[in-house]
Amino acid sequence: MSAAEMTRPQADPTGRRNVWRRRLRVAARHAILIGWALIILFPIYWMIATSFKESHEWVAWPPHWLPHEPTIKNYSQIFTFDTMQKGVAREATEQPFNVWGPLGDSLLICTVSALAALLLGTFLAYSISRFNVGGGRFRHAILMIRMVPPIVIAIPLLMYYAIMIPLAAETVIGTRIILFDTRVGVSLIYIATTLPFVIWMMLTFIEEVPYTLEHAARMMGAGRMYTLRRVVLPLVASGMVVTFLFVFILNWAEFLLALTLTHPKVVTLPVLLNKFQSASEGRLFGPQAAIGTIITIPVVVLGILIQKHLIKGFSFGTIRK
Amino acid sequence: MAQIVLRDVVKRFGAHTAVNGMNLQVRDGEFLIMVGPSGCGKTTTLNMISGIETPTSGEIVIGGQVVNELEPGERGLGMVFQDLALFPHLTVYENIAFGLRVKKVPQAELDRRVRAAAETVHIVPLLAKRPAQCSGGESQRVALARTIVTNPSVFLMDEPLSSLDAKLRIDMRTELKRLHERLKSTFVYVTHDQAEAMTMADRIVVMSGGAVEQVGGPLDIYRRPATQFVAGFFGTPTMNFLAGEIEARDGRLQFNGTSLRQPLAGGLPASLAGRKIVLGVRSEHVDVGGGTAQGRVQLIEPLGDESLVFFEFGGDAPLVAKVDAETGLRPGDNLTFGFNPAGYHLFDAGSGARLN
Repeated sequence: MSAAEMTRPQADPTGRRNVWRRRLRVAARHAILIGWALIILFPIYWMIATSFKESHEWVAWPPHWLPHEPTIKNYSQIFTFDTMQKGVAREATEQPFNVWGPLGDSLLICTVSALAALLLGTFLAYSISRFNVGGGRFRHAILMIRMVPPIVIAIPLLMYYAIMIPLAAETVIGTRIILFDTRVGVSLIYIATTLPFVIWMMLTFIEEVPYTLEHAARMMGAGRMYTLRRVVLPLVASGMVVTFLFVFILNWAEFLLALTLTHPKVVTLPVLLNKFQSASEGRLFGPQAAIGTIITIPVVVLGILIQKHLIKGFSFGTIRK
Repeated sequence: MAQIVLRDVVKRFGAHTAVNGMNLQVRDGEFLIMVGPSGCGKTTTLNMISGIETPTSGEIVIGGQVVNELEPGERGLGMVFQDLALFPHLTVYENIAFGLRVKKVPQAELDRRVRAAAETVHIVPLLAKRPAQCSGGESQRVALARTIVTNPSVFLMDEPLSSLDAKLRIDMRTELKRLHERLKSTFVYVTHDQAEAMTMADRIVVMSGGAVEQVGGPLDIYRRPATQFVAGFFGTPTMNFLAGEIEARDGRLQFNGTSLRQPLAGGLPASLAGRKIVLGVRSEHVDVGGGTAQGRVQLIEPLGDESLVFFEFGGDAPLVAKVDAETGLRPGDNLTFGFNPAGYHLFDAGSGARLN
């Protein structure tokens, strides 16, 4: 028992006051956090509520906090297979807003490009970490690339995609390489733009793996690839899951480049979101909110599914030293 | 045959020379311990034998074959690392089996060998656990089993006991020595702990500043240290050192220190007269109560059966003597002391080389 404990009086009058003060502080902290959470979450609630509202309720004032006549019309409109819109069309809706195509495009592009970036980035990060590829400042240089705002590269890329690459390819190999308005084109640019993040994140995870584990494997006759597969990758698996999720969400919500580099064949969900404009009715908030909700779902579901890995990954404490 | 020969091995990291022209022969089946302070190049030497590091120049020969260009896995060695390097995501069983899986050993034989290795170091009940669930001593055994299972002709060990607590470390010493006797393989073991080296080694290599100071059996090194560095490194408490000069008087040599004169034993060449030297005397050769020199007790450290007496006598540093625990000396007491001339170690004051 320490001296401080020995001298503390048995019934301390200030002790009780301290307890109350602590409780008050906890209550205040919770009140602030709950208030903040409400401010953050309200727009999301409003989006979900609007997605179940009839068109006259979208901009009603005073606002309808809950849909007065709940309907799934917005959803059936975007999920229709009936491209002629006979069944669900509102009077003045001019365009068929079918979500299936963009949903497929987004899922395919985001999954493939996130996986490709993860694969490339993991190996790059490994070589940077273990062989010091590019020198000591390379890892910072990589992140600097991401400091260039997408708006700067959007139009130059458009020039490349739409004009330079197809025409140059035709001259050199005799056939056009079409990147503009193709899934491959969007995927490639997504891989390029997310690779710096993947490298940066995977570097932190890979540097957590002690060198001696690889030395030990090497002493037992394991080759570089075998060691990577059996030792390094399993140890950074949590990190890979976190990185994949992060990159997937980045791509899932990317708008500017997708808008610039596609039209009209490839449409990703963020691009589709912005097309809900009708000449007679103005903005179609209902279907838009429905798509917004649909876009949010995979992010939330993925987050919940890999919660365990997220915590493990972000705590960077996967290996006991 | 697992003889290891190092010929003029040099390792530089940039401008820093970690190992500077090392020559060494490790005999087949011996327990060789490389010992020295941190930064002396012992771990780098071990890593070059293992193949994790490549020598800048020189040759490493294992079993008659130059292995400089061979991958670590092709050298037929097993290594236990300082941090053990157990794979945290694999069970103990899979950790031990790792090397066999690499070599694609059939499942039945693999299972038999893993169990045999686990039995050798008494960890059969741990096989299903993960390294994080094992205690320090258990992890140690897992690391040993993982090395034993591939039947290497040479075991390399890099301070494997440094993460254990004192009691366990001493138990493991005995166990390692027993393991060596049983396997009859060559052990090359690196440590900075001189007591570990003394207790386990057949031969000790003392290193300092990237070079070998002395190679010899534990008792040789203790009794006849080749340099002042080796003398100071081995033995607890550290050997007493007295700086001074050799003087010839009446045809006999005597040591002339700052506040102490001592006759030296016969048999020393007369040419030593006038030399600046350092006289080394171990605590057990300081005779408290005998002799004529005066001292005053500063500190007593009881060891149980014996006590260490630190006393000042007017020299630069206090001396330490090992005395019977029952002497009843107390700090502040005056004493007389002398030295047993048989325990004198004479070192050159400049080079530190042994003179007698």
